[in-house]
Amino acid sequence: MNRAAAIARGLYIAVIYGFVLLPLVVIVFISVNQASTFPSRFEGLTGKWYQAILDHPEFLIAARTSATVALLAAIIAVVVAFLAGYALVRNKPRHGHVLETALMTPLLVPQIVISLAMLQFANIIGIGTDLAGLVAVHAVHVMPFALRLVLTGLARYNFALEEAALGLGASWWSTWRHVTIPILRPSIVAGFTFCFILSFVNLPISLFLTNPHTATLPIVMFAYMESRIDPMIAAIASVAVIVAALVTLLLEQTLRIRLVD
Amino acid sequence: MRPTTVESTAGTFGRNTATTILLVPSLLLLVLFLGLPLVVVFLSSLQPNALLKFTGPALNNYVYLTTTGYYADVVIRTVRLAFVTTVLALPLGYALAYFLRGLSGRAGNLAIMGLTFPILAGPLIVIIGWMALLADGGPLLSPLIKLGLFSRLRLVGTETAVVITLVQFVLPFVVLTLYTSLRQIPDQVLEAASNLGASASQRFWNVTFPLSLHGVLSSTIIAFSLAASSYVSPYYLGGAAQLTLTTLIAQFTTATYNSELAAAAAILLLVLMIALLAVFTAVFRRFIRS
Repeated sequence: MNRAAAIARGLYIAVIYGFVLLPLVVIVFISVNQASTFPSRFEGLTGKWYQAILDHPEFLIAARTSATVALLAAIIAVVVAFLAGYALVRNKPRHGHVLETALMTPLLVPQIVISLAMLQFANIIGIGTDLAGLVAVHAVHVMPFALRLVLTGLARYNFALEEAALGLGASWWSTWRHVTIPILRPSIVAGFTFCFILSFVNLPISLFLTNPHTATLPIVMFAYMESRIDPMIAAIASVAVIVAALVTLLLEQTLRIRLVD
Repeated sequence: MRPTTVESTAGTFGRNTATTILLVPSLLLLVLFLGLPLVVVFLSSLQPNALLKFTGPALNNYVYLTTTGYYADVVIRTVRLAFVTTVLALPLGYALAYFLRGLSGRAGNLAIMGLTFPILAGPLIVIIGWMALLADGGPLLSPLIKLGLFSRLRLVGTETAVVITLVQFVLPFVVLTLYTSLRQIPDQVLEAASNLGASASQRFWNVTFPLSLHGVLSSTIIAFSLAASSYVSPYYLGGAAQLTLTTLIAQFTTATYNSELAAAAAILLLVLMIALLAVFTAVFRRFIRS
């Protein structure tokens, strides 16, 4: 009976993981398959679809734009989230939970609504679809993820260490630099990485906010996919999948970050 | 009770001032790039436009979207898709989180990483895989047809396809939330239940499940709001025949250039989502108490 239950449990876990991960496996399969249309059966290994990406400089330019937007958005999100999280946990202000909930609201607002709102707002104040507006909405969207990770880190942080440093004559600034930030580094690094990736792969937030000069990688992929979906798009997607996988593994290995707790 | 505060030793500024200064950047970001833009959209949704002539501000755009058959269907479809997705994802995710709960350190971490991959890869990339999988003559459909289970079967362009991809999209979020909630139940509590003679199913229904209800509530909210706000799944697998509020917003904005109706659809989606979740939360809380 126990044995049967264990087998059933293992089978269930395998089926659900299969369901969740299957689309990613299929993308990698298509990207290394000879066949030029999909769905198709296996016709042999090839790297030609990855090579084909190089003939489309627009994807490489867009990847660089995405990296710039994601980098700036992640830095802004982590800095403001760290300051806010620190104040919320350290000083426990009145209505602290209300403020925390308020800072989490970007998660509840549909991303396409954020995009539309920023488009109409930008038209009024006249900043149009330049990079600054794009960075700002990406930062707002990813900030809750940074705040979550910072709050988790701060929950285990011992503030008495700061009092010790200050008591020994350290200034506020050097206490932060030599005590607070080094101890909280894992949450900060994890927050930054998550924010960067979530911004990099995001489509709906940017949907109405790009022009040909500020098109991000998902936007250029989206535009390309309007006319056709081919193995080259799968190859680009595979690169994203592999990078995301490597980054997560690296975080787990080097920082021993617990993704959930 | 702490005898001394840091501020009194540092003596530069008070606790309240420090708190305010630290919170200003995040709140400013929130107000400037989410709050104000949403106010602008709300005001724009009350204005007349190319399609509807009236003297604004008035609610005519909302009346139009909720009473015209075609658009009312879009609203109902959005809610139905989010509802069905939530109802399917919750038990599937609960069972998985329950099984993963017992995994120790490294194995647990790997299991969690497996669930974060699709989140980090992003919905646009995941949907490319789904389009290949669910396509006519694709690896999922052609075996079923060959076996004679169906004579003709088409998934792309149907609500079924949208639901399949939405369930896959929200499952990792549901499992991660429930896993955290289940891990917070101390092992001693479960051991105590067993020692007092509870059977496995008694232990689950009388101890584990009630203690995880908070996680069930959070994951329901997450699943429903993610499904209702999803753009990529209904766009690629539902298409023009299965418009939802998100794809309708895009259509108004980029195809028919009616920014007032786009604004009304956006506010409608936001308000509808928040109202439904508020009602659900209230009912759920009452249910827990009784």
